[in-house]
Amino acid sequence: MRKNAILGAILGAMLATTAVQAADREIVIGYQAPLSGDRSQYGEMFRNAAQIKLEEFNASGKLAGAKVAITFEDSKDDPKEARNIAHKFLDNSKIVGVIGDFSSTVSMAAGEIYAAEKMPQLSQTASHPDFTKLSPWQFRNITTQAFEGPYNADWIIAADKKTAAVIYIQNDWGISALDGFVSGFKAKGGKITATEAFNPGNRDFRSILTKVARQKPDVIYLAMFYEEGAAFAQQREQLGIKIPLYGTSSLYSPKLIELGRESVEGLHLATTFTPDNPDPAVQTFVKEYAARFKSEPGMFAAQAYDAVGIMLDAVAKAGPSVTRESLRDALAATTDYPGVTGATSFDPVTREPAKALAKMMVKDGRFQVVTGP
Amino acid sequence: MVFDVFFLQQVINGLSIGCVYALMAIGFTLIFGVLNVVNFAHGEVYTIGAFVGLMVITAMAPPLLAVVPLVLAVGAVSGVGLERIAFRPFRRFTDEASQKSRAMREATLLSSLAVSIVTREIMMHIFGGDMQGIPSGYLLQQPVAIGPIMVASGSLVIFATSAVMLGALQFLLYRTQTGLGIRAVSNNQLGARYVGINTDRTIVTTFAVGSMLGATAGILVGLYDGAISPHMGFAPGVKAFVAMVMGGLSSIPGAVACALLLGVSESIATEFLSSGWKDLITYSLLVITLVFFPQGLFGHGRERA
Repeated sequence: MRKNAILGAILGAMLATTAVQAADREIVIGYQAPLSGDRSQYGEMFRNAAQIKLEEFNASGKLAGAKVAITFEDSKDDPKEARNIAHKFLDNSKIVGVIGDFSSTVSMAAGEIYAAEKMPQLSQTASHPDFTKLSPWQFRNITTQAFEGPYNADWIIAADKKTAAVIYIQNDWGISALDGFVSGFKAKGGKITATEAFNPGNRDFRSILTKVARQKPDVIYLAMFYEEGAAFAQQREQLGIKIPLYGTSSLYSPKLIELGRESVEGLHLATTFTPDNPDPAVQTFVKEYAARFKSEPGMFAAQAYDAVGIMLDAVAKAGPSVTRESLRDALAATTDYPGVTGATSFDPVTREPAKALAKMMVKDGRFQVVTGP
Repeated sequence: MVFDVFFLQQVINGLSIGCVYALMAIGFTLIFGVLNVVNFAHGEVYTIGAFVGLMVITAMAPPLLAVVPLVLAVGAVSGVGLERIAFRPFRRFTDEASQKSRAMREATLLSSLAVSIVTREIMMHIFGGDMQGIPSGYLLQQPVAIGPIMVASGSLVIFATSAVMLGALQFLLYRTQTGLGIRAVSNNQLGARYVGINTDRTIVTTFAVGSMLGATAGILVGLYDGAISPHMGFAPGVKAFVAMVMGGLSSIPGAVACALLLGVSESIATEFLSSGWKDLITYSLLVITLVFFPQGLFGHGRERA
């Protein structure tokens, strides 16, 4: 009798351990980003920020009975690579959701496959208007150029500047930034003197600057990344052109000032993230990032940090037995996610994020928040 | 009014960018002229020059002129190393059939491409993909006003360097014994070997000289641009290649002239079209040249086996 009891206890204990093992399941999120190639600096920032958020989440105990892991794949900022990764992620049954990619072009290339095969996809940076129109499976936590362009246009008009020249990078994103700004600026009665495209990889803007200077616009609006922005500002200074610069949030990075130095003084832009923000969540993130990676996080790192946070919160809401379907519904229900780039909610119909922008300018060698025009 | 001071400024902008292409095209064309194969790793030698220059500047803060000999030395070493890894293994077969075989030429082309990719990836892992800023004391970006026209000090330095390089190279090729050897090997490698020229040594010398010029170009353009990255060699490399083909493949003055022509065409094209079209202008010029002047604008009609 007693023997049986002992045996029963042992059996019971064994069963309990298996039960715990079964509950301690692993949920995997796929993360595709450019980890090599000439956009790899962005992929590195995403991976750094994602690791911090993932560790925080797994330590927080928000999701009982399961652990989340992130598997990274290198898309090289190449649409073909992105499609291969999409198939690879779809074949892995442990993967319930995907974050990425970096550029709109590459995100959309992979997005077409995720849309067809029903995998929720959340991009931290794809801001092309068409990205979320692919299917109900696409999400993003960045404001689109359709929102940011008119916002900046209002700001410029409010500063009593009526004519603008737009310099934009020749890709999907650049064209959407151009469209957003131009339509907003014209709607407010502004006049566009020139729109000039340049090819990605170009570092010489002297001929564009000379052409634009001839028309003497009140401002030059830059739709480009910080590498190009810094070169543009330096060459503007060399050519002795004094027209003020405004730009898209993509220019917002400590690197812009590091590379551009005095030449970027006075550049205006609007952004969702400022490391100076006294919000404790922002300060915790900035300190942790700086301690681990020896650099101040910029907007791109913050975007990735929040994208991972939104995804993981949705995983927690969907419970320990998450499916791609239930995760999509949980993502769609995101309201007021308290991130370092402000609170994020997804519109129930368009799935577009609603966010607040802060106006900033470069002053005394650093980005400072400006109030008023 | 189109032909005003802004137009003149455009021509000057074009000459500045053309000089950057020329600076790279000089070393590139020298190596092509001798071996008759494209050295795809020239862009990486250029990048190495820029990174070593920046490392020396940040570590020791020497005067700029002291950086140059060091970069020259690094260029020479990488040129010799590159020849050893990517080119020499394919010169084991010295018979005429192998030397003229297309397969051999293509294999060399691919091996230099492989070395270029490996080098670039290694640099990415060491330095990261980010742009690296240049300490402000070394920047060649001070505006210089020539009447109403503005140029950066770097444009003048690059222009002067291109002129010196071109002159020195012409002197080396046409006034020295080494130059005679290089020209002989370039003309007929087997023939040169039969008359007792040490072809291996001549080829190594050519690589060393070409890569010295490439590495110097890298650091100068870096100081002029204000930032360097492991990918900086690609875009000017493509333009230098086009300039070399337009110039007639082995003519160094031809490559320089065509590089300047490309720069000015791109800059003037921006004035009339959008700057997004400027690569199109470059390649159209290449196609037009090849259709109407198959030997290039400065070619000598030499045999291309």
